[in-house]
Amino acid sequence: MTLKIEHLTGGYTGVPVIKDINLEIKPGEALGLIGLNGAGKSTTIKHILGLLRPQKGKITLNDVVLTEQPTKFKREVDYIPETPILYPELTLKEHLELTMLSYKLDEKKAWARAHELLKMFRLDDKLEWLPIHFSKGMRQKVMIVSAFLADTSLLVIDEPFTGLDPLAVANLIDLIRKAIANGKMVLMTTHVLADAQQAISNYAVLNNGTIEVIGSLQDIREHYGLKPDDPFDKLYLALNREDHGNA
Amino acid sequence: MRELAKKRLNENLKQSVKYLTLVFNDFFILALIFLVGALMFWYAEAMKTMPTNLWFYKPLTGFILWLPLLTGRFVTLIKEADMQFLFTQDEQMDEYLKPMHRYSLVLPFILEILLAGIVLPFATVKAGISVWNYILLVLAMLFIKDAELEIEKSNLYFGKKLSFGLVSLVALLIAMLSTYYPMVGLALGVVGTILFAPNFKPSFGDKMNKKLLFDWRYAVESEKARKDRVYSVFSMFTDVEEKQVSIKRRKYLDFLLPKSIAKENPNLFLYRRSLLRNPEYLNLLVRMTVFAILISWLVQDWRWALGLSCLVIFLTVYQLLPMATEFDRNFMYRVYPIERQDRGKDLVKVLTLGLLIQWVLISIFWLLLLPINVNLFEAIGILLVFTALVVATYLPNRVRKINQKNFGIR
Repeated sequence: MTLKIEHLTGGYTGVPVIKDINLEIKPGEALGLIGLNGAGKSTTIKHILGLLRPQKGKITLNDVVLTEQPTKFKREVDYIPETPILYPELTLKEHLELTMLSYKLDEKKAWARAHELLKMFRLDDKLEWLPIHFSKGMRQKVMIVSAFLADTSLLVIDEPFTGLDPLAVANLIDLIRKAIANGKMVLMTTHVLADAQQAISNYAVLNNGTIEVIGSLQDIREHYGLKPDDPFDKLYLALNREDHGNA
Repeated sequence: MRELAKKRLNENLKQSVKYLTLVFNDFFILALIFLVGALMFWYAEAMKTMPTNLWFYKPLTGFILWLPLLTGRFVTLIKEADMQFLFTQDEQMDEYLKPMHRYSLVLPFILEILLAGIVLPFATVKAGISVWNYILLVLAMLFIKDAELEIEKSNLYFGKKLSFGLVSLVALLIAMLSTYYPMVGLALGVVGTILFAPNFKPSFGDKMNKKLLFDWRYAVESEKARKDRVYSVFSMFTDVEEKQVSIKRRKYLDFLLPKSIAKENPNLFLYRRSLLRNPEYLNLLVRMTVFAILISWLVQDWRWALGLSCLVIFLTVYQLLPMATEFDRNFMYRVYPIERQDRGKDLVKVLTLGLLIQWVLISIFWLLLLPINVNLFEAIGILLVFTALVVATYLPNRVRKINQKNFGIR
């Protein structure tokens, strides 16, 4: 039960955006993907979700190769996007039902779990609402509820804290921690390291489409010559210097 | 600003021509010929038998000539980004709006003159309006439209705004009055045009209007709503990329959905709800059904009704085909583990139900509106066989080809 990304090279056109990415996440492990805008974080995620076809390399999850058995692979992956994407014609209840149908979940058990999650994110009285009635933060909560309902072995989360109120951020962090404790794999991109470090201790720094360093935040600070108590902003300043240095 | 307006008008014209070419396709022209032909035939026959000079003929003429005034709202082509980038250009907006005003007149003027030509025999022969007075009446309508646009233009500035509903109601009253006193209608139209021009307003308006402060938010929202109406018309006949679909919940149609999800699959689940709640699809189904009923009533002959209704059913299916790939644009549809292999069959299942409902409704109205005889019952049977054939052969074949073209799904 491992996510393995081996020598992944890819992008949107023939020009590679990410080059020779190698990552491995084992059950009960979480990895934060950090980097400046345009570093290749979202491109890496899109490859893992099967939305882009790799130019080189292989992505496997529990020995299932994404390009060979995409539906089987996807059944073990759930995703919380940075920008919530809902079906305009489905109510909140129907979004959850679609998740149950797609992931072939036991309806009774899934509804019990759904009610817990809905209550946690204060959506329990909005089951009949269409997405048009939700604010951006509420839409994001629908994505979170659907993702944690699916109960997959890999959870991919892209900038999860954008637009959420502090209460929802705290609940999300709590859910991520529990998921890791229950043996799930988590891959998360974020710029909000102060929040992320409450759930995730390992990080990979992407710069110009390649992974520069993998380790704890302390290892990363050392790699960029920062002091242990330097604020996270300095890390991004260091990355910016590297970026310009490479250019 | 005038240059910007002209540039935007050119782009808008290009876009309109693109969609008009798609709307007036071979199928539509054919249907239109039948419909206009049937209407003209009915009009000519009615003119022979209609009594003359009934009391309501003049107000009716005014009402008919008022209808084109409902079209062609003020085109501003203002974009959301203008709120940011043209925010300081309030004083130049009048320059920007001048070419827009002229452009906005084109469609209602063409429709008014066309309709005036069609109504001329009725107005002069049956309603007893002299040709000269009729010309004055039509001129009055053109000036009233111009005045309406001046009001819409002045609404774009801060100050009191007159609702289009109220303005249209007043215009209707003037139109009806003008059939008796065309000179009065013409004078009111001309005075309205001058009175409501924003430039003329400082002498009447409040302090806000004196500054001619442009109401950007209102202008953006009005233009969005206007464009949405235009796109809705185009989308009756073709796909409109720019159209923002506003989904309606339509809870009262939930009885058409299965009570439990146990026998559902993700594609069936999505297609069912899309057909019932996406106005593009449900409105199309309703519109085409009403069209078949209306045309059957006009021709009053079971053979014509059958032929034309078959054509309508075929066109309904043809226009619902974009449903096959509608979810592919949704990121989550591709992320979720949803099998696409059999989704063509799921779409056929959903559309079969829709078309059967269409057949039932057409048949019921045939029984209510057409002479009942054995032939009519045969026609109902033949229409059902035709619907079944379309659903069993044409529809699956086309859906398969669409899926194959897009994803290599067989």
